[in-house]
Amino acid sequence: MGILENLYKMTAIQDIIGNPGYLLMLAIGSFLLYLGIRKQYEPLLLVPIAFGVILANLPGGSMGVVAAEFVDLGGGHSKNLLDIAHDYGIMNFLYYALIKTGFLPPIIFMGIGALTDFGPMLRNLKLAFFGAAAQLGIFIVIIVAVLLGFTLKEAASLGIIGGADGPTAIYTTIKLAPHLLGPIAIAAYSYMALVPVIIPLVVKYTCSEKELRINMKEQDKKYPSKLVIKNMKAVKIAFPIVLGIVVSIFVPSSVPLLGMLLFGNLLKEIGTSVARLSEAATGSILNTATIFLGLTVGATMTAEVFLDFKTIMIIVGGFLAFAISIFGGIMAVKLTNLFSKKKINPLIGATGLSAVPMASRVANEIGLKYDSSNHLLQYCMSSNISGVIGSAVAAGVLISFLQ
Amino acid sequence: MFFCFNLILEIMSEMGVALELLGVGLITVFVILALVVVLGTLIIRFVNKFFGEEIKHLPKSSGNAIVAIGSKKLAAIVSAVSTITKGTGRVTNIEKN
Repeated sequence: MGILENLYKMTAIQDIIGNPGYLLMLAIGSFLLYLGIRKQYEPLLLVPIAFGVILANLPGGSMGVVAAEFVDLGGGHSKNLLDIAHDYGIMNFLYYALIKTGFLPPIIFMGIGALTDFGPMLRNLKLAFFGAAAQLGIFIVIIVAVLLGFTLKEAASLGIIGGADGPTAIYTTIKLAPHLLGPIAIAAYSYMALVPVIIPLVVKYTCSEKELRINMKEQDKKYPSKLVIKNMKAVKIAFPIVLGIVVSIFVPSSVPLLGMLLFGNLLKEIGTSVARLSEAATGSILNTATIFLGLTVGATMTAEVFLDFKTIMIIVGGFLAFAISIFGGIMAVKLTNLFSKKKINPLIGATGLSAVPMASRVANEIGLKYDSSNHLLQYCMSSNISGVIGSAVAAGVLISFLQ
Repeated sequence: MFFCFNLILEIMSEMGVALELLGVGLITVFVILALVVVLGTLIIRFVNKFFGEEIKHLPKSSGNAIVAIGSKKLAAIVSAVSTITKGTGRVTNIEKN
């Protein structure tokens, strides 16, 4: 009998009976895995996050991330990493070393930069403005969230979901409201995966058929650009260097994200002589960073943290931020069309989100439905890429204001 | 009652900051993207003036073989060779077997 009792105590069964929330979290983790594997919703991140959720909610596994007060020694001092690993396990070691320090999001941005082509934006520079209008959702949702009882820092972390940029959302949340990291990361990546659903939904209620039929190539023929790029390679090399320096002067707090993005991009554009670095940034480094980011963010979602009313508010608020951002971009195009001879398809405003290139692909498909010769991809990519810069700048503003 | 009043005051104060963030945030993003547009234009003008046209490494015309292949196919082959060899390779001759 004693042996059986000891065996029972050794298992996690009594913990699960004592706190059924574990089972619910395991179900949520499994559901997220289903979305990632079967539905292909951002699988590169959703699969590690979902598995992190499962690992964190296996009682006795010591894989759940503990709150910051557990490692705080008072007087501005924290436990060192060895103590954290010893007291709370390897997942906490990874979280406090890689996430809490804000290390991984800029590293991921470097990889994204090395995968990004600024060419479409440089060819259609004026369309870059719509990447600013599409940040509207971030700031509107901050106001709504404050009214609903969130603190300013929590509201800002919630609002940044509207930038549609996972690493930016994670970085801002680490800086402002780390206790909300799990639900915010899940909401950000889930809505990014749902871009093919959200953009058509907002477009349906805000754009007329006539507007969606605006053919950009025809508009270009009617009103050709005066600026011709003779040497794109040289422009592409100079652009990240000059932009990085200038932006860092105006919004220094955006440098960790934007600086690394532009550095990654520079590696790509230099070409053969640094090809090994570019390959590392887009390959092994990006993949490794993604694995650790996903697992550790998932591991923050323990039953005690996730099963909270605020999580539901974050899911709803995230959707609102996303939809308002798309709406903001569309309205900015409509406003421009009132004053400009050269008309712009409002789908280009809808892609002012960061979700590159999915938002552009979705907008291109919508455009082709109304006019099979209206290929909008290159134009959408312009506002889409500027959206990456816009959301990183918005994050910088929030951090410098509220931290 | 006093607690409620304090709570309302606190939310009002935070609302003020949130509204300020709306203004400052959106203006900053617009200014930075305006800078992107201005800097981009300046860089393009500068490069056009001082660097000249980009030299594209097209293969030397080596007779009828290339002409027979067609410009689109030729561009695709040049691009593929450039990608695979990371810009180091050159197409010097294309022959059909």
